[in-house]
Formats: sequence, C-alpha cells, structure tokens
Amino acid sequence: MKEVKIENPIVQVNNLRFFYPGNARALHGIDLSFPEKQVTALIGPSGCGKSTLLRCFNRMNDLIDGCRVEGEVLLDGENIYDRSTDIIELRRRVGMVFQKSNPFPKSIYENVIYGLRIAGESDKSLLDERVETSLKGAALWDEVKDRLNESALGLSGGQMQRLCIARAIAVNPRVILMDEPCSALDPKSTARVEELIGELREDFTIIIVTHNMQQAARVSDYTAFLFEGNLIEFGLTDQLFVKPRSKQTEDYITGRFG
Amino acid sequence: MGKTKEMNKYWRVGEPMVWLSAAALSVTLLSAIVLLIVIMVNGLGVFWPSDLQELQLKNGTRLVGQLIQTIPTADESGLRRQYKIANRDLYGLDFRWIDEAQIVSEDTPANVLALERVEHGDFYGFLKSLQPPAGHPAPATLAGLQQSLEMVAKEKDDLSELDGKLQDISYRMEQLRLELLKYDYNKVPENDPDRIEAIQEQQGLKSEFSNLIEVQTSRTAKIRQAKAMFADANGQDKEVVLADIVQAYAPNQMSKFEKSLFYFKKLVELFVGQPRESNTEGGLFPAIFGTIMLIFVMSLFSFPLGVIAAIYLREYAKEGILVRIVRIAVNNLAGIPSIVYGIFGLGFFIYGIGHTIDTLFFPERLPTPTFGTGGLLWASLTLALLTVPVVIVSTEEALGAIPREMREGSYALGSTKFQTLVRILLPMASPGIMTGLILAMARAAGEVAPLMITGVVKLAPALPIDGHFPYLHLERKFMHLGFHIYDIGFQSPNVEAAKPMVFVTTLLLVMIVLLMSSIAIRLRNKMKKRYTFGTF
Repeated sequence: MKEVKIENPIVQVNNLRFFYPGNARALHGIDLSFPEKQVTALIGPSGCGKSTLLRCFNRMNDLIDGCRVEGEVLLDGENIYDRSTDIIELRRRVGMVFQKSNPFPKSIYENVIYGLRIAGESDKSLLDERVETSLKGAALWDEVKDRLNESALGLSGGQMQRLCIARAIAVNPRVILMDEPCSALDPKSTARVEELIGELREDFTIIIVTHNMQQAARVSDYTAFLFEGNLIEFGLTDQLFVKPRSKQTEDYITGRFG
Repeated sequence: MGKTKEMNKYWRVGEPMVWLSAAALSVTLLSAIVLLIVIMVNGLGVFWPSDLQELQLKNGTRLVGQLIQTIPTADESGLRRQYKIANRDLYGLDFRWIDEAQIVSEDTPANVLALERVEHGDFYGFLKSLQPPAGHPAPATLAGLQQSLEMVAKEKDDLSELDGKLQDISYRMEQLRLELLKYDYNKVPENDPDRIEAIQEQQGLKSEFSNLIEVQTSRTAKIRQAKAMFADANGQDKEVVLADIVQAYAPNQMSKFEKSLFYFKKLVELFVGQPRESNTEGGLFPAIFGTIMLIFVMSLFSFPLGVIAAIYLREYAKEGILVRIVRIAVNNLAGIPSIVYGIFGLGFFIYGIGHTIDTLFFPERLPTPTFGTGGLLWASLTLALLTVPVVIVSTEEALGAIPREMREGSYALGSTKFQTLVRILLPMASPGIMTGLILAMARAAGEVAPLMITGVVKLAPALPIDGHFPYLHLERKFMHLGFHIYDIGFQSPNVEAAKPMVFVTTLLLVMIVLLMSSIAIRLRNKMKKRYTFGTF
C-alpha cells in the first residue's frame, strides 16, 4: 500500500500493535517511516489511534497500567521498546507538546529550563543562553524577555503553548511530537504556531497529530491517514490531499465521514 | 388554572430549594455566632472592676457586693439580684441572692476596698488599721496600704531570687540522686572516685539547701509581720497579712480610664501569670503554653507522616482491592471516638514503648517511670494518630486534583516520578495539604478526652521547656486549656466562683484555634496564588 520510500528514516515503526487494558486492540500492526527534519502529520477520525501511535514514540503509554505493546519502534536504528532502553533518556530525545498547554506553576525562566534542571544542569550562563535560544526558537522571546521571572500562568493561551514548545526544544530533542497543539487556540494564535512549526522544521523532526485537515495540508510535508487502528495511506502531503490512492482516504478528506 | 401554572413553575425553578438552603446556612451561621457571643459576653466582662454596692437589709444586716445579675423571683412578684459578696473565709460562699423586697437602702461608698488575695478569693470591706513593714511607716489609708504593698512586693521579689537558687539546687540534687541510683544499679564499687565525688557534692548541696531554706524562712517570717486589719460590712474584723494580698483597689473611686487600665493589667496577667487557688484565679500561662506546644509537636508528627502516607497511596501503590481497603480504613479512622485513641496511646505508647525505653535506658530509676508515664510526647503522638487520617485524605485529594497534563508534561521532558513529585506535584498540592493541616490542628486543639489519660494534669510543676539541659522535656506532664475548662468548671470545689474563669478559658481556647487557623489560611492563600491557574 505504501509506495513512498523514505531513505534513512529517523523513526521507523515495524508491525506495531498496541493493546489497552483488557486486551482492547488500538493499533493493528502499523508499518511507517518518518523522514528526518520534515513535518509528518497523522490524520484520521476520532478513535483511529493516531494519538496512541504518537504516544508510542516517547513511551508515554507506559503510564497506563496494564497496556501492552508489540512490535518495534526504531529511533536512529535502536528499538525503543528494547529492555535496555532508558526511558528518561529516550524522552529527552523525543520531546512532546500537548493538546492543552501545560506550563508548570513556575516562572517563565524555570519552565524553559525544567528539562535541563532535572538533568542536573546548573551552569547559570548555559541556562541563560538556552532560555534565550529556546524562546527565540519558539518565537516568544520578544514578548516575554522583560518578565522571565514572572509566573508562566500569567501568559495568554497562545503564549503558553509556545512556551511549551520552547520548553520542549530547550533540551535539544531529535524529534518533537505534537498532539493537536492548536485545538485549544484561537485562529490568530493557531496561525502563529503553524508558522512556528514551519520554522522548527529546519532543526527538528516533527510528528503532528491533527484533526484539522487544512492544518495538515498547510504545515506538513508527509501525511499518514489512520483508520480504526490501521494505516490506510501514507505519502507526500501534496499528493495525498490532491490524489488519494485509497477510497477511504478520499472519503475522509472530502468530508464524507469522520 | 393560571394559578396552578404559576405554582408549577415555582416548584420547577426550585425556588423552595433556594430558600431551604439559605435557611440551613443561616441556622449554622447563627449558632456559631451565638456561641461566640455567649462566650464573649461572659468571658470579656470578668475582669472589669464594677462598682461595689453596700446594702442595708430588712433583717438589720448589711452587705457589700458586686451586682452580677437581676432576675424575676420564682412567684414573679418582684425581682431578685445576685451579688458577689467575696470574703469566702468569713461567709463560706462567694455569691448570694437577695430579693429586692429585702433591701432597705443601697449605696456605693467611696471607701469600700476590694482585695485580691493569694488565698480565699477576693475580700470586700473597709480598712481599719495598718501595720506597715518595719522601717517604712505609712498611714492607714488606701494610699498607705498600696505603698506598703509595694514594699512587700519588692521584698518578695528579692526572695524569689532565692527561690530560683533553691530550684536549681534541688534540680541538681535530683540529678545526683539519679546518678547515685545508676551507680547502685551498675554495682560500681563504693570507693569509685566518681561516686565518692557525687556523694560529696550531694552532701555539700544538702547543707547549702538547708542553709538557704533557713534564710528563706526567717525572711518570709519578717515579711509576714506586715499586716492590715479590715472590717466587713457588718463590722466583723479580719486580719490580712500584706504578703497575701495581690492588690488592693477601691473600685468606687476609679475613673473609667483607671478601670480600663486595671482591666488591661488583668488581661496581661491572664496571658503571662501562673494559676492560683486551684486554677480558678491568676493566669493561664502554663495552660496556653502547653496547648500550643501540644499542637506544634502534634503537627510535627502528623504532617510528614500523613503527607508521605498519602503520596505512597496515591502515587506509588498499585490501584487495587488492597489500596481501596486501606483508603476506606483511613477514612473510617477519622471517625473513631477520640477516647479510644487515648486508650490506645496509654496502652501502646506509654505502657508499651515508654516502659521499654525505661527498661532499656533508665533501669536504675524503676519502678519510678521516666517515659513510662503520661507526658507531652505521648499525648502529641496520640493526637497525631488521631489527626493523621485528615492529613492523608486531604493530601490525597489535592494530589488527585492535579490535571493529568501536568504529570505528562513533566514526564515528557525526561523527569523521573520522584522529580515530578517534588518539583511539580507537591508544590501544586500544597494548598490542599495546608487545608488538611488546618483541619488537623483545629481538631487537635479541641480534644481533651485522649489527653486526660496520656499526660495532661491539673497543675504541672514545670513547663516542657526550661533552662536545664536538654531544654526540651517532652516526657513532662503538661497543662492544657481544654482540660483546664473541664477541671475548673466541673471538678473545682467552688463551681460558682470558677464560672467566670471557665468562660475566659473557653474564649482563649477559641482564640488560639482561630489565630493558628488564620495563620495557616494566610499561608495557604499565598501558596494558592502561586501554584494555581489564574483565569484569563
């Protein structure tokens, strides 16, 4: 089914199956490759498993008691479901931005360097520099540079989400996972975040889950369409949206179901 | 037809429910306010030096007293008044009821005096003659009396220095006695140099002690030579030693300002003074100190224990039948009658742990217990057990109320469970945890039953903190405001005379609880502001 061949994928998924507690199967053997420094969108109707798939990449699903994963996810050629994998180290390499912005009840400064602090970094000059580059990277620096020590909870919704992006890129991850990052934002803030995703693509690999097909079309280079735990179609975004090969994909993107 | 429609709408909208809930709230608030008012009205007036009235009665006798209340007589034919007549040693009672019909005339003579005495309560009467302290002549007037009283007080102060010295010596002698007991117990030979030294020191102290006692006795006798003769309303004489008078004043001569000053002084005495007359007079300092110490030490145990237990239950324990049972058990623990905790404390802490400590560390003192008897430590631990469920429940709720995204956000940045807990969850849960602590403290401050069998006493010889090493004596017995109320209100021989003090003590207890709670609430609000989302 998938005809697009990805050379040197950064993340490769081989026959991934996922079971929620009580053996409810959410993913039925996914095979997928993600190109480096590109934006890949995961689309599909609610409950199709796109968020579950995303959360397999930083093993966030481990937090659910009684869930089970079979198959492989290779990050830079290493299986992250290997016994020897250090989850802490994995999550530093794979950052994540959530649907609801979740800044910690700390200052803006402390929010950005949270990942570095817990890794034991205490060099003040390095932290200062990292705060600046990360906030600039998240296009937030100009808005908050004068109030870095104020609570992050005083920011607007869009600013909070960009702060969460700054927080994720501060630890210099290989891959950034975004789980519907704009669904709680107003159109203006959404536009800024989308613009930001375009800029981040220069340095990071981004995998984004979105409900919004226009958004997928705007921000992504590749798109994967999932339906009921199966990968239906994967390809260049331009091709998938213009000329889908599968009937289900076509029905979904033209709004006939979902 | 239209009317029923109106009524239907009335019920549907739920108007009656609104009224019902408002009424329920009002009743609750009202009872709390009425309680406070009753306590305040009865408690705040106690120290006000009201005028003293002199009455001429139909049967020819006279009476001096302070009007307490006026009520209708039983047959409603007239009014009757209650007077505080004091002079307990002369009359045997402090209060008397007089029917207004019995009163021929009443007056407020300026020269009537009130004496606050060390023993036998107040004295109301007239000064007849004065025998001032040697070398300090003074006229037989109120001014002369007060001047002489000042002299006597100064001499008593000098003597109290001696008291301090005596206390130090007796403390040291007790230490030596225990040391010698230890030598005996360890079968140290009689000619051991340390032992001989201890015996010599003991003998030295003994003679020093008896010398000081002699000095004290002779000086006390000298001070007690100063006396004054008083007469009550009927002319009955009463000789009072000046050293036994705390203060003398003529309430009928005092201006409003002087009375306020007097009132204020009495309040200060209440906070810093020692109790007198089986606790019905004087200050409450040891009881206030004991209460605050108890709550403080209790919090020191129950706060960390409860928080850590809740963290395990919520964050680490695997959700299942066992955790559910534990949770139900913890919730029910809060409902066990407090006396049961007291009995547990007595059996487990005092007879179990305390006795074991005694046999291991202080075997030479047995059968006299050191830790194997009630004390501040055991009472605090008992109360800590009583309040720990409250802390656990509120901490668990606070942790559970933190949105999942917070945990996930922290984990996604590569933090461990422990780091997330310390850096994100605990700060965010802190307002809720504080709420638990406030509830726990309020509950502990009000408990009396478990304390009665774990170490509270009517009169403690020493405070739990003093100048002798190791300064903090948690094994000591202590006084407590709650027990104080029970004791003076229901166990004292002169209940009527103790009544004002019951209200004062109650007021004080309520105020301490309010004060501690409001400090904690302020702290909580500060945390809340810092760690929760503002609205936008």
